Amino acid sequence: MHSTEIHTYLHRFFTENDCEILHGNEHYLTVQLTIDMDKRIMNRPFYWRYIESVNEIPNPAQLTLITDMKQLQNGMKGEVIHLGSPRLHQLFQVTKEMGQFVKLYERVGANNEQQILTPWVGVNYKVSFTSHQTKEILYSIGINLMTGAVVKEFQETIGMRDLSDQSSEQVFHLPFIITPVRALDRLDAVITKVIEGEDLTWVEEAEKRWRKDQAVLDYFYEGQEPKPECYEMEKRAMEERFKPRITVDVVNGGLFYLK
Amino acid sequence: MLIERSSSWKEGFIQRLENHEPWNNSVLYSMSYDITKNNLITDFTGLQSLAYLPNVKPLPHQIKAAERVIEQMNGKAILADEVGLGKTIEAGLIIKEYLLRGLVKKVLILVPASLVNQWVEELYTKFHIPALLYKKNYALDYVDVVVMSMDTAKRSPHKEKIFAQDYDLIIVDEAHKLKNHQTISYEFVQSLKKKFCLLLTATPIQNDTFELFYLVTLLKQGHLGNYEEFSSVFSAKNRDEERDSYLKELVSQVMVRNRRQDTGVEWSTRKVHTVPITFTDYERQAYTAVSNLKEISPVFSDAFSTMTLQREMCSSPEATIGTLMKLLPECKQVEEITHVEKVIEQLEKLSIHSKAKKATELILQANDKVIIFTEYRMTQLYLSDYLYANGISNVIFNGKLSKSSREWIKHLFKQQAQVLIATESGAEGINLQFCHHVINYDLPWNPMKLEQRIGRVHRLGQEHDVQIYNLAVKETIDDHVMKVLQGKIETFEQVVGELDDILEMKERSV
Repeated sequence: MHSTEIHTYLHRFFTENDCEILHGNEHYLTVQLTIDMDKRIMNRPFYWRYIESVNEIPNPAQLTLITDMKQLQNGMKGEVIHLGSPRLHQLFQVTKEMGQFVKLYERVGANNEQQILTPWVGVNYKVSFTSHQTKEILYSIGINLMTGAVVKEFQETIGMRDLSDQSSEQVFHLPFIITPVRALDRLDAVITKVIEGEDLTWVEEAEKRWRKDQAVLDYFYEGQEPKPECYEMEKRAMEERFKPRITVDVVNGGLFYLK
Repeated sequence: MLIERSSSWKEGFIQRLENHEPWNNSVLYSMSYDITKNNLITDFTGLQSLAYLPNVKPLPHQIKAAERVIEQMNGKAILADEVGLGKTIEAGLIIKEYLLRGLVKKVLILVPASLVNQWVEELYTKFHIPALLYKKNYALDYVDVVVMSMDTAKRSPHKEKIFAQDYDLIIVDEAHKLKNHQTISYEFVQSLKKKFCLLLTATPIQNDTFELFYLVTLLKQGHLGNYEEFSSVFSAKNRDEERDSYLKELVSQVMVRNRRQDTGVEWSTRKVHTVPITFTDYERQAYTAVSNLKEISPVFSDAFSTMTLQREMCSSPEATIGTLMKLLPECKQVEEITHVEKVIEQLEKLSIHSKAKKATELILQANDKVIIFTEYRMTQLYLSDYLYANGISNVIFNGKLSKSSREWIKHLFKQQAQVLIATESGAEGINLQFCHHVINYDLPWNPMKLEQRIGRVHRLGQEHDVQIYNLAVKETIDDHVMKVLQGKIETFEQVVGELDDILEMKERSV
């Protein structure tokens, strides 16, 4: 992410969270936090407990976030934000927490006759392949709750549609044939299939390295019975280091009514 | 293969379907997806961390070292770059990469007490890693990255607190201090679980190959076989080239060692001068008198104390007198006592020392900032007085100084004083690139100490050629020290690789 992308992100993040941008340009912005956002990111629970217990007027903080370090030379004060700065990382985390679940409807033109919208469940999965190294793949999969049809790159397809969290009038929502809970189980099976189709040579590579190190260790303690504690410990460390694991995390997902 | 998944998202989703909680904002939903996509680790190899570190511009050799440790050495390595090439940067890159990839959560960094602050600061300013500087009574449960002095960490109750945590990455700075496997520090590090582990030292061999054996064994048990095999195959007596290169190959599998010329950076060169010194007749007499003490009293009969006295005599009469005074109460018989007192008197009469005179000449000739290293505190004081008497401004630096005094002295040296007189313990970890003359007033037994001394000035940022003067008194113990140093340097080069010049080598084997 370049500094301009980060700037755009910050601007959108605070606007969407009802925090007023007091002033700024393309290099920085000063933002008035809401009470809720202050509690989330300013890390001062004692202040808030005090204010609330004595019924004081709360005074949520203002933040100046600078995305172009050169501004500091002009004497500007504030936090420098770049990819890797703890603050940005924290905001990413908040974004993730606040954008986990949605229910959205596709907008339809008002004049036409009655429109029919089909329910879908869409889920974004982050799959991590981990041994002594890591790799991640993002899969966005949707399932049609009427037909059970599965679509890949679901997020990309809905990104092009006009969606709203309110249903338009004069719209008929088809009922589920597959319940969302069943749909999630189906998606789990789909993602398992997809993973199995991925290149799994990394698993062999990790296991090869693991076997090699284990052989060296066994040789070192050859003939010693019972094996000492440090043998067991190194063996455990080796398992943690090399054991291939696959983890599936849900980034977010939702229920979508689409044309 | 087993696929791990968490059900928490599913539960949250079902709750909302049943109208128990409100749905989220659709813009934040898309933003979250975009962020995840942007920050995805798309490849097993390569350093993702570079994009996250606008405040450091790692040099190519540092990036290569970090990649090699992670990709080929499975995160277990001795980082043995020559002094001043930025081992800390390499370690920082590796920590950051592992944290980003989620392979490491908790990191324990063990360093000499004098370097604790420097580590915390560098991790924060260069790598945006908030590390805790451990003090007594701190709880470790919620701290991910902690920097501790080794001396604290190895003692109770601190070590128990460490054992109660589950660290994924252990880092030991100045790891040559673990060369002796019978020390508490060694045992302590041995007893830690090492999922990933970095040992940092510019000088993995100080005296003999066994130190390297123990260091490698600490990192990876069995990599060099067991002790019996190792000593039978690689002992100094039956050396041959084939075995040496085999050992070198094995060692290189767990060790990264960049040399100055590998870095692609234009380095100034070292000019090493051996400066022979001839004792005056009086000095020679005193030296002989000190050497003969072993025949007078059993207190001086062991080889070690004679050698110490001789070495001190080659440094300054003051250092010798200090030791004699300490040993005097142990002499029982009257003749012994009077004899020793006579020798002390003889020493006190030596007002000028030839070595100090030579050093003064060198300083005047340099007409620039100079660092003098000595092994002895008494010599340090003597020299300071002597130089002042000759109109040369100087400051003293040793291990007893607090952190703030160290900074202050360093500042004084940079701004005002011409000469810094330092002992080894004082000089650890300080960077003095603004100076390029080093006088080794007396020589340590260990070549790596010399390397560390020179490394104070010959590091990234040095613009001049570094002039090194090794002072040695002719026909004394100094000759012997020189010979031992040469032997040790050869051992190092056979097993680890070449060293930059420390001594003026007369017969360098090609």
